[in-house]
Amino acid sequence: MSAPVSLIREPLVTGSKTYHQITEDLVSPTEKAPGTLWVMAFSVAAILATFGVFCIAWTIWFGIGSWNLNRTIGWGWDITNFVWWIGIGHAGTLISAILLLFRQKWRTGVNRAAEAMTIFAVMCAALFPGIHVGRAWVVFYFFPYPNTRGPLWPNFNSPLLWDLFAISTYFTVSLLFWYTGLVPDFATVRDRAKGIRKKIYHFLSFGWNGSAKHWQRWESISLVLAGLATPLVLSVHTIVSFDFATSVIPGWHTTIFPPYFVAGAIFSGFAMVLTLMIITRKILNLQDYITIAHIESMNKVILVTGTIVGVAYLTELFVAWYSGYVYEQFAFFNRALGPYWWSYFGMMFCNVISPQFFWSRKIRRNIVWTFFLSIVVNIGMWFERFVIIATTLARDYLPSSWSFYIPTWVEIGIFTGTIGIFFVLYLIFVRVAPVVAIAEVKSILKSSGDQYSGGHGHHHHHEETTSTENH
Amino acid sequence: MKEKDQGVWIGEMDLTNDPGFIEISEKEFASMPEALGNTEAVEQMEGNRRDFLKMLGFGLGAATIAAGCDIPVKRAIPYVVKPDAIVPGVATYYATSFVNGGDFASILVKTREGRPIKIEGNDLVGYGGTSARAQASVLNLYDTARFKKPMMNDGSVWTDSSWDAVDKKVMNALSASSSIRLVSSSVYSPMKQKAIDAFIAKYPSTKHVQYDTVSYAALLDANEEDFGQRAMPAYHFDKADLVVSFDADFLETWGDGNKATVDFVKKRKIEKVKGAKMNRLYQVESHMSLTGSNADNRILVKPSEQGAAIVTLYNYVTGSNLVASSLNADAKKALQVVANELKAAAGHSIVLCGTNNKAEQSLVNAINAHLGNIGSTVDFAHANLTNQGSDADVDQLVSDMNSGSVDTVIFMDANPVYDFTANGKMAAAVGKVKNKFSIAYANDETTNICDAVAPVNHFLESWGDANPNKGFYSLIQPTISRLFETRQAEETLLTWAGVSYGDSIMDYLKSNWQNTVFGMQSSFGNFERFWEKSLHDGIAMVSTSGEAPSYAGNPNAAASNVTKTKVGDAVELKIYETGHMGNGQYANNPWLMEMPDPITRTSWGNYLAVPVDFDGVSTMVAMNDLKDGDLVTLTVNGNEYTVPVIQQFGQAPGTVALALGYGKAVSGLCGTNVGVDMNENVRSDANGYRTYSSSDVTVSSKIGKEKDFSCVQYHHTYGVQDTDKKTGEIINADEAALVTFSYGMGVQGYQGALTDRSVVYYSNLEDLASSVAHLDEKRAHAQHLNEQQIYGGHDKLYKQGHHWGMHVDLTSCTGCGACTVACMAENNVPVVGKKEVSRHHEMTWLRIDRYYYGKLENPNTVYQPMMCQHCDNAPCENVCPVNATNHSSEGLNQMTYNRCVGTRYCANNCPYKVRRFNWLDYTTADIFPGNQPGINGEEQAYGTDNLTRMVLNPDVTVRSRGVIEKCSFCVQRIQEGKLTAKKEMRALRDSDVKTACQTACSTGAITFGDMNNKNGNLSHKLENPLNFIVLEEVNVRPSVQYTMRVNNRNKEIDA
Repeated sequence: MSAPVSLIREPLVTGSKTYHQITEDLVSPTEKAPGTLWVMAFSVAAILATFGVFCIAWTIWFGIGSWNLNRTIGWGWDITNFVWWIGIGHAGTLISAILLLFRQKWRTGVNRAAEAMTIFAVMCAALFPGIHVGRAWVVFYFFPYPNTRGPLWPNFNSPLLWDLFAISTYFTVSLLFWYTGLVPDFATVRDRAKGIRKKIYHFLSFGWNGSAKHWQRWESISLVLAGLATPLVLSVHTIVSFDFATSVIPGWHTTIFPPYFVAGAIFSGFAMVLTLMIITRKILNLQDYITIAHIESMNKVILVTGTIVGVAYLTELFVAWYSGYVYEQFAFFNRALGPYWWSYFGMMFCNVISPQFFWSRKIRRNIVWTFFLSIVVNIGMWFERFVIIATTLARDYLPSSWSFYIPTWVEIGIFTGTIGIFFVLYLIFVRVAPVVAIAEVKSILKSSGDQYSGGHGHHHHHEETTSTENH
Repeated sequence: MKEKDQGVWIGEMDLTNDPGFIEISEKEFASMPEALGNTEAVEQMEGNRRDFLKMLGFGLGAATIAAGCDIPVKRAIPYVVKPDAIVPGVATYYATSFVNGGDFASILVKTREGRPIKIEGNDLVGYGGTSARAQASVLNLYDTARFKKPMMNDGSVWTDSSWDAVDKKVMNALSASSSIRLVSSSVYSPMKQKAIDAFIAKYPSTKHVQYDTVSYAALLDANEEDFGQRAMPAYHFDKADLVVSFDADFLETWGDGNKATVDFVKKRKIEKVKGAKMNRLYQVESHMSLTGSNADNRILVKPSEQGAAIVTLYNYVTGSNLVASSLNADAKKALQVVANELKAAAGHSIVLCGTNNKAEQSLVNAINAHLGNIGSTVDFAHANLTNQGSDADVDQLVSDMNSGSVDTVIFMDANPVYDFTANGKMAAAVGKVKNKFSIAYANDETTNICDAVAPVNHFLESWGDANPNKGFYSLIQPTISRLFETRQAEETLLTWAGVSYGDSIMDYLKSNWQNTVFGMQSSFGNFERFWEKSLHDGIAMVSTSGEAPSYAGNPNAAASNVTKTKVGDAVELKIYETGHMGNGQYANNPWLMEMPDPITRTSWGNYLAVPVDFDGVSTMVAMNDLKDGDLVTLTVNGNEYTVPVIQQFGQAPGTVALALGYGKAVSGLCGTNVGVDMNENVRSDANGYRTYSSSDVTVSSKIGKEKDFSCVQYHHTYGVQDTDKKTGEIINADEAALVTFSYGMGVQGYQGALTDRSVVYYSNLEDLASSVAHLDEKRAHAQHLNEQQIYGGHDKLYKQGHHWGMHVDLTSCTGCGACTVACMAENNVPVVGKKEVSRHHEMTWLRIDRYYYGKLENPNTVYQPMMCQHCDNAPCENVCPVNATNHSSEGLNQMTYNRCVGTRYCANNCPYKVRRFNWLDYTTADIFPGNQPGINGEEQAYGTDNLTRMVLNPDVTVRSRGVIEKCSFCVQRIQEGKLTAKKEMRALRDSDVKTACQTACSTGAITFGDMNNKNGNLSHKLENPLNFIVLEEVNVRPSVQYTMRVNNRNKEIDA
């Protein structure tokens, strides 16, 4: 892999970096005192997280009645947020696992942060099934453990139980994958550190010494984990979609849900990766590692998955009409024209219309546009889950029971709380671990570094910096 | 050594009471802290480190156990000698009577371990079932607001007193009085009447004033004039093929609604398509009443047009030509049709009038007399005696009190200060009386301004009798000894009269029966046997006869005295009584307060019903552009009220309606300050009769939104039709109105969005064959789809043993709501309060969905009791992650509350939306203290006190916060029925198990039973060709079937 891949391809590492410079660039953020911007961001995130924890305590004390769910709409913001966060997590796994197997070198610039994002997002997601239940203190009934009640096992027919297994597996594999990747980088940090830091990183790097045997085993385990994680990319959101697809509620009972959910998950995950990376590369000055080429690649994924999602929406409408089934037809009629029309409109605009801007190469390579659209996409994907969950439940079979739902401050507080928790964790992460995988970037330097890959890319890079970076 | 002192002994030294050992053993725990405080002692103690650890361990363990087991057993004391009548765990039933003002019902009271917990109908009267009011009355027994002992009012402060003090004060006042008034609701108890007579004998200056909370005075006076009898006749709806009712809500509040409903529905049962026959009901009214909603045709008139409508019908029926004031053309046309039908149904029809106008009543009497209905369907021989009030007497009372000529007034089971706020400012008049005493159950507006109160027993603590109809006597016997220092009204009156009534008031009752009722019957020669039989049955029938009176009225004079139509655009207000609130006498009953109004589906407050129309595009437009839950300023007779509105289909244009019974200033927990009081707008007409309508009314535009709009049903219709403005076609207007936003495309709804659903089916008698054919086709299609499933199902399993099922006849259901209250009582369903209801957190296991269909401006109504359908393919069961809900081998969908984590997935996946989640700690049963929501801003949350909790059914678990609950098909009753059958060594019969809703239903609309019992009642009902399964195509295989709603609408009137 030492020869340049292609002269036409853009370099993935710019700035004619040497190995040492890469180490300097990527490890130094963990060695310096945090900047003002970091402190401010951390404070805001911590305040949101604290308020979120307060709202969770409130919920557990008073009951789910402190939310505005009702006899008709049993799930609202809680499960919307759950599915949204789970979906966001998917980009990390896709980048680390599938793109690894496909030998996509551009993944090296973003995989570390994306995997971290996966783990934090899954943590935020997993919070909701735990606290949305009426009796959080008996949530352990979910687990199939030998007990003295018969023994009484959980209901293996229930999609919620499948969820439990899917998410716990997903979290475990993602965590292993992420940590495995971190081991050589922690060793790099350790080698430069002194005192207590050295001890900590020594412990964290599991005695890594860079021997060929270590590297060989590391490569093997990475591939094995990638192999394990690959089906998870498809299975986790498939199973989450079963929560709805296996029900009898019109608008939920839909066979298209598994692929549609997976596409949506990757779509929203990439959008979140972009949101995070655009901020991170700016703050940590990583433009040479997370280049416009990276951003463009991810925008292409967004365009493809967004369009798949759009096709799924239209297919749903077609099938509803074609089914001749009044409940199904009304469910979709109601989504578009009923009392929650604005959420359907928001979903369609954000998820189907907005990614179409990425047909334009200029927009794909434009930082501001990308940042803006990545946020629009995440809003759209939140709307999608809200449309599926709350709008569908609000008007189902019996007109007598139709209802309406707007969240209370507690529900909003918990949602913003998870955003706070997510950013608290992410901000700590960028301070303690190299945010770009050092070892992996170094592995592609000789093939994709600008000084090795010919003039085209190098030239192009300068053009880009002048045309877009100054926005 | 004394044998008896030896309890448990462990070792020899224990047994021998070795003094040294006793000393040590006594020190084991008690002296330890003492020892620990003493350093020297501690140092001297051997092995004190170990003891420290022991104590630490014990302390930790004890604390853990104490913290973990927070279910203290309170005062559980076993019987030393078990009373004969009480077997723990087995219910005992007593026959007694529910009496409250004019409301009467013969009932059975279920008691458990001496506690009355449930009311059932006494089917010896010919039908089971009761009204919602009777069902709920048991809760009042445990009302925290009831008087617990005699009290005196010291100007402004009420203080506890004693019977001696109160009796002395009252008797002194009475002795010194020269003009006494005893004010009560109608008295139809022979025993109470005797006590009153004794009181009057002692104090001859006493005048007894009776009134009814909602007046029947005009009807009574008209009957006295026309027929010589001041009584409301018994109406035999079971003999009437045609009923025409002018504003009489006879299926609910007017007269004996329960009996009327039973008889009326008897003529509407359909089991076969061929030769199906039904009676017909025309309701002439402005506001959709419960009776109106069950009518085949409603004829819309404004309140002021009722007089003209009655005169018009009189003219059409008799061929007279009396002068009628103007009447809307539609009504006129309709009444011509009605008159022709009436003439054809002479002798087997009934014309009723619910207005409190003597002339109108008299004309209706004339119509009935002309048709020959008197003596056949209108029966004075069994006249109803529950309403005997006189408006004139009340007015006389007010003027007497105002003139200062009354020096003592006693109120007995009466609250005139609330009931008559308008006419003569009752409160001010009462204030002018020197001595004011009240014989009352709980504090109310009247009692509050009295000097002393003699608290009465609840009827479940009392002896008594009632004579609600001529020839019909019913007994009241106590089912629990009095809970508080109370005394029944008769005891109080007799005490004040200085009459001794023996050891118990029962003796007084008994001797009165011996002297009166016993002599009227001939079945028993021995009084004791008669008495025991009557007490056991709760009722006694005696023969009564009498010639049908002939009509002696003057229709010509009457016609000139009827209400004159108010001409112009003025809005008219109809003030009406609801089945659950009455005129406020039921406001303090949380079950009734929370029970949604059958028509408006609102609870906790009165909502101004405004007429609604369709704009021809996609919006329902109500008067002044008002929407459900908007607040308006309603001005009536110059009084301003801020009231929330509800769009009411079938409300006559230009009229609004508001219920009585709310806005009480002095009441208990849930009665106080809920809604607005309309009594001050019930004014006397020129002849002194209270008029329940007003034409001096304005309704403002929207001034705000109600904070907690407590309506349990947001969507009211099921395909009401109107004209599309653009195409001129008749479309389903409500389907067009489901569009909230059309992206500028002017979409007029998805036609068929409601009507193509298989939720309710309805038909008109003449279309029955085609409706059933349509139903068959839809069912065949659904069943075809269902056969395509790849799963084998469990049908074979369910064909074995019992398979519980239910049948609901939508034609028989009048929507009265008794079943919903019965369900709450039976199953410990919590009351959640206005705020929670407004958030759709109501906990009802059984609800009655109400849909309008047909013509938008004058629709028909279908009521659909909806409970858990106990699906054999239950979608709730497979989604529960912890198996908290599962299927029994007998087809029951069961809830295991202990196992429930509360994911609410089952509720989401229930197509019928019958699963209820305990959102908050409604029952004080969760592990967190002090987080219960109040139902009406009270300090101690409702239901947290031990008194209220006495009403709980011990057979049904009280659910804690965070778990799902739902209809169990009264599994506790199934279990009881199975045990009964087993004890009697026989197979179970359908009649062994009756669910609470079934027993509460007077019309027999609900049948429960074993679907595998081919000879059972249920199997018979399931053969009806009009049956359908709600959402059959979803293939959840419910165990509940419904029978199509059939009306007998005369389409001639629509044309």
